[in-house]
Amino acid sequence: MTTVLEAPKRQSKSAQMKKYGFFPGCVAKESCKELFSSTMLLAEKLGIELVELTAASCCGASVLNDTNKDVARVLNARTYAQAEALGLDDVITICSTCTGHMRAANKELLEDEARMGQANAILGKFGAKYEGNVVVRHLLWLLIDDIGLDRIKSMVVRPLNGLKVAPFYGCHIIRPESVNGWESSRNPHSLEDIITAIGGEAIDYAGKTRCCGFHIQLEKDGTAADMVGQNMRMAKDQGAEAVLTPCPLCHLALDGYQADSAARWGRTDLPTFHLPQLVALALGVDPSLLGMNKHIIGPGLVLQEHDLAPAHVA
Amino acid sequence: MGFILDIFRFDQTKDAMPHRDRIEVDLPTNLTVLDALEHAKAEIDGSISFRRSCRSAICGSCSMNINGTTGLACKTPVSQVLKSDNSVAVDPMPNFQPMKDLVVHMDPFWDKYSRLKPYLQPADKDSDHERERRVSPEDMKKLVAVANCVMCATCYALCPVVSVDPAFAGPAAIAYAYRFIEDVRDAKRSERTAQIADDYLWLCAHCYACSYCPKHVDPHDDIIAVKRAAIEEGQIHGRGPRHALVIAKTIKATGMLHETEVIQGTVGRFNIKGLIKVAPFGIRLAMAGKIPPLFLKPVPKVDEIRTIFDTLEAPVLS
Repeated sequence: MTTVLEAPKRQSKSAQMKKYGFFPGCVAKESCKELFSSTMLLAEKLGIELVELTAASCCGASVLNDTNKDVARVLNARTYAQAEALGLDDVITICSTCTGHMRAANKELLEDEARMGQANAILGKFGAKYEGNVVVRHLLWLLIDDIGLDRIKSMVVRPLNGLKVAPFYGCHIIRPESVNGWESSRNPHSLEDIITAIGGEAIDYAGKTRCCGFHIQLEKDGTAADMVGQNMRMAKDQGAEAVLTPCPLCHLALDGYQADSAARWGRTDLPTFHLPQLVALALGVDPSLLGMNKHIIGPGLVLQEHDLAPAHVA
Repeated sequence: MGFILDIFRFDQTKDAMPHRDRIEVDLPTNLTVLDALEHAKAEIDGSISFRRSCRSAICGSCSMNINGTTGLACKTPVSQVLKSDNSVAVDPMPNFQPMKDLVVHMDPFWDKYSRLKPYLQPADKDSDHERERRVSPEDMKKLVAVANCVMCATCYALCPVVSVDPAFAGPAAIAYAYRFIEDVRDAKRSERTAQIADDYLWLCAHCYACSYCPKHVDPHDDIIAVKRAAIEEGQIHGRGPRHALVIAKTIKATGMLHETEVIQGTVGRFNIKGLIKVAPFGIRLAMAGKIPPLFLKPVPKVDEIRTIFDTLEAPVLS
């Protein structure tokens, strides 16, 4: 019997890699740079290419609508025109607020000719045009739809060893459902599925779909911190050791304000991971590269307890 | 056939603590939660208390917590919410004090509503009461969605800001403020935006919990419109409007939301007391090595972004 050893068909690296337009958003370029770098490391591990839309503007961060009814939509149309020009209609975000507001703008453009006309009239002033082909998705959705939970599971080399993780969705990736609609906003389970796939234990608590208060941190002293405390109390009472969020705004609120909420809600001190940090860690990325030492509530002890990383790297 | 109603029981005149009753209801699950409650009250335990009137989502009386989320009992089929143990849990609306069983004290909700002066105040109010005041279909369109509000308080019960800070007006009251602010017959636009700003209009956290409105009013869009009206009326001196306008300013200047400038612009560059209050957060960030850039290089082709702002005459912090 002869064995035919056939060399695996080799494709060029660029042909193998699926390419996406990448919209990192402002926070991942400013105060949460560790989110940007851990996303890139995870993409490399997954064999996908995230091509940053470097000339894009802020999505409007849900606040720009408070000043003018059109400006955020037209700014996003400009970003979509850039993505189309680069042949990158599949745009990936790493922030719940970017996801929700870019999708809302896109929905308005696609459903209302007058608004699309208004946007293109302005874009025309500098020779740009949005054809309406862009789809905006979050990295979380890419992980589940394009990579797949089974594949992620099979790639795990450093399982989380039962680390009890509380999922925290952030509002704008689930609500309103008319804009997002990728999963139920009242009973989402994508983060739980990811946590389980990488060997953690997902904690169920009512706070997982509630608001972190980020957008009103500066409006009135104490209110936003109370929202953080209320949610983290619920997570802690259900036995959570850490939190996982797809949103850097939630990360900043939860990581930064648990100290302020302790007086009313008791100490919770739950380390809060960015989605790509924990997935990349489980997939074998060197923990010292994931920027986990840039968190206010250091996850070092929790990770050490579960044999996931030496305490000093986080 | 049949299922279990797991009911919150409490009587403020007698009970120190609430308890729960599990009542077996022999009804098909395609009926509503309100049907089940009515059946339980009529056939099993007449002391069960809940509010209801129209049974068809018009009166707004029967909002309650059903399996942990708030909605109208008359609009919720049992089959849609039945838990795996064949039960449905009903509780009073959160963010309110319970009075008896599923009945709550609604006073804070009505107080915030009545502060709005929820009636038309036309400019020529005293001259001719009976005169017809016509509204074009175009102008009326803006009010159609909010006119569907039945004041069931579902949005108020779901609001996470109200849950920690009862000073916040809540979604329904702001939506109702919008209803008068955008009414062409009303002459008190500026007074109304100022009043609702005093009731913490700008404390809305943009969470869209009010998008679960059973009447599809979606107060969130109205809240944004009221904020824009406040800015148009020149009411730009609170932290809320300054926050929105400084974000606009940094996006127009750099293409990005510039975090460090947004904090200074919102709190006030010369508001030393205010800056000291937010300082601990900044210090914690810095100690963790999270130092957002003090200066931002504008994104490529930032002129295009400025063209968009200028064409739309979008306001920024001056």
